[in-house]
Formats: sequence, C-alpha cells, structure tokens
Amino acid sequence: MTFDFRILAIMLAFVALAVAPAADAQNRLGNTELNVPATLLAESQTVEAGQSVTLAFHMQPKPTWHGYWENPGDAGIGMSFDWKLPTGVTAGKPQFPVPDTLLISGIMNYVYKGDYAVLVNLTLPKDARPGPLPISVKSEWLSCTDEICVPEQDELSITLQVVAKGGANRLDERFDGFRAALPRPLGSEARFAVSDGLFRLSVPLPANVDIDKPYFFIKEDGLVDYGAPQTFNRDGDRLILETGARGDELDTITGVLKIADHTGFSFSATKGEVAMTGLPLASDGAKSEGNATLLFLALGGALLGGLLLNLMPCVFPILSLKAISLAKAGGNEAEVRRDALAYTAGVVLVATALGAILLGLRASGAAVGWAFQLQDPRIIFVLLALVTAIGLNLAGLFELPNVNFGNKLTQRDGAAGSFWTGALAAFVATPCTGPFMAAALGATIVLPPIAALVIFAGLGVGLALPFLLLAFVPAIRSRLPKPGPWLDGFRKAMAIPMFLTSIGLIWLLGRQIGTDALGLSLVFLLTVALILWWFGGGQMKGLSRGALTSAAMVAAVIGGIFALPGEDAMNSQKLANTSAATLPSEPFSETRLSELRASGQPVFAYFTADWCITCKANEAAAIQRSETAEAFEAADVAVLMGDWTRPDPAISRFLEKHGRAGVPLYIYYGPGKEPMILPQILTVATLTELVNGSLQSAMVDQSL
Amino acid sequence: MRNLFSVTGTMIAAVSLATPLAAAQKNGTISQDFKLTDVNGKTVQLSQFRGKTVILEWHNPGCPFVAKHYNSGNMQATQKAARQQGAIWLTINSGAKGKQGHMTGAEATALIDRQDIQSSNYLFDTKGVVGKAYGARTTPHMYIIDGEGILVYQGGIDDKPTANPADIKQARNHVLGALKEMKSGDTISIAQSRPYGCSVKYAS
Repeated sequence: MTFDFRILAIMLAFVALAVAPAADAQNRLGNTELNVPATLLAESQTVEAGQSVTLAFHMQPKPTWHGYWENPGDAGIGMSFDWKLPTGVTAGKPQFPVPDTLLISGIMNYVYKGDYAVLVNLTLPKDARPGPLPISVKSEWLSCTDEICVPEQDELSITLQVVAKGGANRLDERFDGFRAALPRPLGSEARFAVSDGLFRLSVPLPANVDIDKPYFFIKEDGLVDYGAPQTFNRDGDRLILETGARGDELDTITGVLKIADHTGFSFSATKGEVAMTGLPLASDGAKSEGNATLLFLALGGALLGGLLLNLMPCVFPILSLKAISLAKAGGNEAEVRRDALAYTAGVVLVATALGAILLGLRASGAAVGWAFQLQDPRIIFVLLALVTAIGLNLAGLFELPNVNFGNKLTQRDGAAGSFWTGALAAFVATPCTGPFMAAALGATIVLPPIAALVIFAGLGVGLALPFLLLAFVPAIRSRLPKPGPWLDGFRKAMAIPMFLTSIGLIWLLGRQIGTDALGLSLVFLLTVALILWWFGGGQMKGLSRGALTSAAMVAAVIGGIFALPGEDAMNSQKLANTSAATLPSEPFSETRLSELRASGQPVFAYFTADWCITCKANEAAAIQRSETAEAFEAADVAVLMGDWTRPDPAISRFLEKHGRAGVPLYIYYGPGKEPMILPQILTVATLTELVNGSLQSAMVDQSL
Repeated sequence: MRNLFSVTGTMIAAVSLATPLAAAQKNGTISQDFKLTDVNGKTVQLSQFRGKTVILEWHNPGCPFVAKHYNSGNMQATQKAARQQGAIWLTINSGAKGKQGHMTGAEATALIDRQDIQSSNYLFDTKGVVGKAYGARTTPHMYIIDGEGILVYQGGIDDKPTANPADIKQARNHVLGALKEMKSGDTISIAQSRPYGCSVKYAS
C-alpha cells in the first residue's frame, strides 16, 4: 500500500483498548492504559443512613493530554455517568472544577490540562442497613491532545460501609483541595441579552473584587460563540461581558465566571437588558492589542496633560522664572542641558513616585483616585504652607539658598538645585492635575502596574518638556527676553498665581474641616509667613538664621497639622469604612461555636464573602446597624463571622452540612434550642426580634 | 481630556471587532459559494449544483467519531440514501498538511475504495478556507443546502454525541430527517444541532 494508515490504525487500536476493558469490570486504582485515567475516591469510607457522602472522579491527564468540562466548547464531548447503585441510593449532579480555555485554530475547547476531580454527592436512604455498600459507575469521557482525540471509558467501583449513627468518620483531606477548585455559587442572579450578533452578560460582583483574565464559561450550547474574544467592562458592582452570539433561543442560562486560575463563580442568568457601561477591562484576545493601544493613547494624554500643567497657576511661576534663568546661562550649552536634565529627572521621579504610592494604595484596597493626597486635610495643610511660602519667596520676602526660582539670576544653579526645583514643581503641580489626569488615571486602572507607572512618568516628561526644548533648541532660548531689571517685577507678579493656588487650597481645606477649624489653621499659616519674614529680614542684614528658621517652620507646620480637627473624625471614618465594625465579631470556627453554646450564650453566626452582593447588602441593611448591635449587646449575643472570600474548607464543609452551596448563611443559636437558619434577606426586625424573643423566654425562665 | 477615555474605549471595541469571529453561515441565507479540487484533480464548484440539494460533510479519517460512523457503515448508508433521492454529497477534508487526517489524493482514493465511501466528490480544503467560511468545527459536521442554494441545516450527524457505534441505532439521523421533511414539503423540525466530534485540524 502506498498510503499511510498508521495514524488510523493507532486510533482504532486505542478505541479497541478503551472499549475492551469494559467487559471485565474490576476495581482498579486508575487505568494506566488510558491517556486521562480516572480513579474513583470517596471522602469517607463510612457513611450513616440518611446522610450523604461525596465521591470524586480523580482524573490525571498524561502530559500533553486534556479532559473536557461539562460543556466542551466548539468540539469535544463532556463526561457521562451511568451509575449502578443499591436501591434507594441517589447520585447528585456532577460538580466540575473551574476549567481552562484552549483555543486551537479558532476552535475553542473548555478543558483541564492538569489533574482535576469531578465531585458527585451520593445520598443514602434513611432505612439503609449497616454493612457494605457497593457503588459502581460506567463513565465515558473524551481525552485529547492538541492534535488527536481518543474517547475513553472505564467502569469504576468502590465499596463503602454503612455504619450506625456516630460511627467513625475519617475524611479524605484531598477533598478539601478538590472542593477549592470548584466554582463557588455567587448567590445572586446575572442578566444577559442577545442582540445584533452580540451576547452581553451583566454579573453582580462588588467593585473591590480582584479580577485577572476573566472568562465566562456558559453551560448551555447554542448561545455564545465560544471562539469569539470576550471583552469585559466594570461598572461599580457589576461586571459586564460582551462577546459574539450564535443564537437566541434560551431565556435562562447557567455558567461559570472565572476570575483567576482555579477560581470562579457559578450562577444563573435570565434574559433582560444589558448595556455595555463602565470602564473596559482588557482581556484575553483583545488584551495585548487593546492594552498597547490604550497605553499609547493614555501616554499621549499624560504627556499633553503634563505640558498643559505648565500653564497652571501653581506651576507657571516656577516654570517661567526657571526658564529665564536657563536662558541667561546661554553661554554654556553643556551646563544648560545638564540643568534641564536634572530638572526633568526631579519632575519625572516625583510624578512616578506619586503614581507608585497611588497604585500601592489602590492595591491595598483603598478606593483612592488621583489627587488622593488632597483627601487628607493634613497633606492639604502642608501643601498650603508650601505654596504660600513659594508665593512669599516670589514676592521677595526671603530668598532660598538652594532651591532657586529665578532669584540670584547672575548666579548659576547647581544640577542638584535644578533637580529639587523639578521635584518641587511636580509636587506643587498635583493640586492642578485633577482634570488633566482623569483620562490617564482611568487607564492606569486597566493597565498592568508597570504600564501605569510609565503613564505617570509620561506626565512628568510632559511637565518638563518646555525645559528640555529650551535646553536642546538654542533657537527657542534666544527668543526669550533677556534678563534685566524688569525681571524682578515679573517675579513679584508671579507671586499672584501662587497665592491664588493658596486660596484654592484654603477653600478645599475649609470644606473638609469647617470654618472654625480653618481659622485656626490660618493662624498657623500666618505663623509660617512671619517666620519666613523674619528669616528674610535676617538675609537682608546678612545674618544666617537658617537652622533656627527651619526648626521654627517645622514646629509651625506640625502644630498646624495637630490643630486639624478632621483627623479623629477622618480616622473613625476610615475605620468604619474598612472594618464596618458597628457589630463586632469573632472569626468563625466550629470549636468556638461549641464552646459558646456550651456556656449557654446565644450565638449569631453569619457567613459572608467580599464578592457576595447579597451578603454585603444584608450587612449594610441589617447586621451592621446600631439597632442590631444594641439589641445583641443587651442580650449578650456572641457574633461569629465566617469569611468565605477565599475558599476555606472548614467553612465549605459547614455550609454543606447546612444544605448550602455558598454564602450567605445566617444561623441563630438560642441557648438550649435547635439552631435556627434565618432567611437570606435580613432586616433589622428579623435580627432584633430574635434576640427580644430570647430575652423574653429568659425572663420567663427566671420567673418560673 | 475626559473625552480621551471614551475614545480609548471605542478603540478597544474596534480592535475586538476587527478580530475575525468564527464566520459561521446562517440558516436561511444563501450559502457561500466555493471551488475545491477533488481526489481526481477535478475542480468542483458549489453553485454548479443549483437545483439540487447538496450535503456537506466534514471528514477526518483519523477521528474516532468519524470512525464510529464509517466502521459501522452508517455514514455510507446515509450517503447512499441521500444520493438516491437525487442529492449531491460533498465530503470535505480541511485537515492541514502534517495534521491528523490529512491525505494525498492517492491515499484518499484508496480510503474511498476500502471504506466504500458513497459521496459524490471527496474534496480537499487543505488551507481550511471553506471550512472556516462555514464555521465547520468538528468532524463530522454536516450542512444541507437546498436547490436554491439556501442553507437549511447545520449541525451533527445525529443526536447521540458519543464515539460508541452501539448508540447509532437509537439515534435520530438529522440529515436523513431533514431530507425526508424537505421531500414532503414540511419545515425542517431540527434545522440546527450541536455538532460533535474531534476539532477540525486547521492549518492555523
């Protein structure tokens, strides 16, 4: 034969191999001949009548091989289960871990490349009699490499023991890992829409939940074009997806939203209106291209914004005088360039550092924006003192030895002086950056941190650009007016925009701390001015009062900061925002719960997660309320809080034991009473009545 | 400045729209015409068959799901039945060189002979152009085009997505079902279904 049928022969041999062993069912621990061998495991070898036990199909793909999610995507096949169970025993729906995407030649596959486990809950009837419980299942699945596919199947069996109530119950710890890989139920419903060939999905997800390369895996076929790129927008507490649609037949769908490796949420969605609002979050296919475009645009915006900043009242005086001082050095090209580069370095460094601080604060969860420093009255006060001091300097009240804004025009600045002037310009410019940075800042949310820092640096370069031009294009420099006696007048006039900036900052400070406190702050500001005046007077007489002045300045500024009344209020505000501790709680553990119950104290346990909107809504509306806190305190209720933001196997098991796949869960343990599971939507009344009820019964007990 | 950001957003949307989506054909629209070379080097054009029902079948001899339908004789029987009703059956191989299922003309001729394949023509689409135009994702993946060139069915060969030949007996053959309904003038009850099988082994 001239043609090559080796591949086909190998394929057929594989099929034969896969089919043949089914005839002699045996209890093997993994079939080594399979490319994705399966092992059947039980979380517990013993189980009580009426209880359930979790089984796992532990799949271990060989290198380069993969298995499929329940919806395999464009090609491939999901897994099938044909159970042989003793009478009365029922098998639940298989639970698949969060899958990965595998795009080959435009064909999207939803797969597992490494080990994974599919979990199934078996429930025993109440009348199951103690003794062996043989379980067997015939399962089929498709195993593929990037090149070829082999349908595989195996007949797996395991024998469990039915035991009497309270019998030994050792748990297989591997199941904690298996469960952690499952998508967690989101608890709230999403909305989807199909129109003009586009599929849109709006998922309720709090704004502070971190998302890395999100992907939506839909379970139902025929609606989403699997291979189409998925783009995401974030709009407050909603994540909105847009991708290609393939059909429009369904009114409800289910699926898994993956937000990081092995982390995802399962939910259902009903048809409704979905608009693509909010800010784009680049993802997958569009990511590299989209990000490059975004970075390019945002960098351009930042450069332009920085350039425009030079005209702002807080920067223009510094710039113009510095520019003229550069021009006068005309004779020495090298020196001019060195000064300009030092100035640029100062500007870029401070702009990037402010950007880095901003990103750091954002990363730590603080909801801050650009000009975040202006949310803190202390920093406003420092800026105010600084800007006023610069204004006084320009007005001629005093001179500074190192940082030079154009005074001592006959004297040359060192590179260090230029650097500090640049640093100061960038810092003082921040109150004026707001409107200019809005666009670029939006981009820094979407871009990776390095790219975001590049944008902040771009702002600095833009700010320093006029200087670089002056230094490197002598033609421009020669057009600048020659320094002369007029310059002293110009410098004094430049004090006016500086004082305008001061007025702006005073207004901002007043809004934050009130007029009474503002008056006190201004007294400290006057002190600063008087100290500088005194310092300037010394300079005229040739006295050096530098050290004393510095000390007095620091004292005055610190005094001003301490006099700010907003500090306490601000701190308590911050506390309220971060821990929301109107109703204090202890972390949940089953040990602590049984201790508290044994001591006869009533216990309220609640289970929450940062990504759960329902939980957060209940906490804001019912749990973290002073009415609730007072009622609980009066009745001496202990509060336990289980945080399921990260998968915690102990909490997972506890939830499962209470018939819940996810949060929220609210339980009240009245002393000596059966636990009471509360509704998923709480009100203050629900909670306070609980406690008032227990108070009443306690009083009744005492009266007896 | 603020507008800059919305401009950026639009740019991203444009970038993602520019990425080619799987360009599937829609039922009820005129199907994309194409020209391909068959095993004998003959050029076959879809539009030359206007007036006749045309069935497209995506094929990969190395795929176990294709093997299920050929080793059992199910695909050949379907081909025969369709052609007896006057339909044209085009079997298309979009497997790229070096990928599973790719064949030379001689290899394909021998396969046709050995498996007694009953299609009208066996076509090569090595570059995957036709496969991608039709959004063919699996082998097998079936399409039916009526005498007016309108796409009336796309999807799987039947409703039992397994590799087990024993399932063929209980399965509904969607191609034969659609042909029967077309003949009696009924609307096609299942005009779209989920194709199942291996992914088409495109070049890129």
